[in-house]
Amino acid sequence: MDIQLIQNIKAGDSSSFKKLYDMYADSALRTAAGITGDSELAKDAVQETFIRVYRSLNSFDTSRPFKPWFYRILINECSRLLRKRPRVISLNRLCDEEGYQVADREREDYMDLYNAVLSLKDIYRIPIVLKYLHGFTEREVAGIMELNQNTVKTRLLKAREMIRKKLEAAEGRVGYGH
Amino acid sequence: MDTRNLDERLERLFAEGVEFEPEIKKEIWNNIGHELFEDGKKGDITEMKKRRSLIRLAASVAAVAIIVIGLNTQPGLALVNRIREMFEPEKNITQDIEGGKEEQNVQLNEGGNAEYVIYVDQERYKMIKDVDADRIVPNPPLPEGYPEVSMEIRQVTDKDPERLVREMEALLKEKYDDVTAPQPVEDPVKGWTVRGLGGKSWDSTVERVYVISNRKEGSFIITQRYFLEAAEGHGARFYHMLKEFYLVED
Repeated sequence: MDIQLIQNIKAGDSSSFKKLYDMYADSALRTAAGITGDSELAKDAVQETFIRVYRSLNSFDTSRPFKPWFYRILINECSRLLRKRPRVISLNRLCDEEGYQVADREREDYMDLYNAVLSLKDIYRIPIVLKYLHGFTEREVAGIMELNQNTVKTRLLKAREMIRKKLEAAEGRVGYGH
Repeated sequence: MDTRNLDERLERLFAEGVEFEPEIKKEIWNNIGHELFEDGKKGDITEMKKRRSLIRLAASVAAVAIIVIGLNTQPGLALVNRIREMFEPEKNITQDIEGGKEEQNVQLNEGGNAEYVIYVDQERYKMIKDVDADRIVPNPPLPEGYPEVSMEIRQVTDKDPERLVREMEALLKEKYDDVTAPQPVEDPVKGWTVRGLGGKSWDSTVERVYVISNRKEGSFIITQRYFLEAAEGHGARFYHMLKEFYLVED
């Protein structure tokens, strides 16, 4: 992250803020979609995140990495919006809505995997999204979620185990049906 | 299923599974811009810097732009100097004049008491500052026999736009038979407008009034005067100049 860019934004340069948005919007949307499983919530979360980032930049210490700080705000925003909305995750909505495209060839696999990920509790789903979508290390995930690194490690292990069981169950249902 | 296989599937899931259309990102950015940079909303840079600072609202989206000047600045020369630092002294704008696009260089002018700035086409106009109002008039002046052409900017500190536009309507009705009802507008400024028309001949007077909030208790009245034949010329140029009007809040 370019410190100069952050300093320009702090000085009130909106074009630098647009540059920051262009750098982060894609991955933020994917992260929010992965966490919320809902396109509209994801859009709202990203929008509110950038607004909060802009308004909070004064409190950001430029000697620290920007990315974990940004994603901490995004995750908090996703969690806040999820709390406001009844917890009904609609996978079809995510996959079928305009603006989202899921490759047809592996649609069922994706569906099963998405279902498995989205069925996890937040405490397990968020580390999975951060790790596999962004390639954050366990240490970085711990920093973003403000958790002990060992806790993150344990949650990732449990999350993977739960996903595996759900996929096996899904595959078993398909096999039984045929 | 082994761990490695699951890792790869999860990576592919997030890498390939979801794509967002550019229009979605554009829509979100527009909403962010609206929240942070338009309609005089404070609490963005203001909160960020924990002091009053600068907010520029894009005139291109037809809002009246606001500049909030730094904390300790007092009205007067220091403020004017500060404005000069913040704005480009001149710039090019594209305007629709008489059916065609025209690139025009415009220059920064500070209004009375430095409470607003406006970019003026100084190839054709000049700004005259009076005690109670500023006027932008053709330069050189029009030949004798032509009706008045001017754009007057005046501040009324104790009346809000809705009330004031009714008063302007009443004044126009004293002068013209054809007066439109006050209308809210978003473009070229956000506020109210009312128009009086003096007839249907080439030199019939047109008087268009815009009333906008001064972001305090009062309003700015912008009165454009020209004649029917000049509607696409002077009228259009005043319209484009007014899009480059920025309020300054201390």
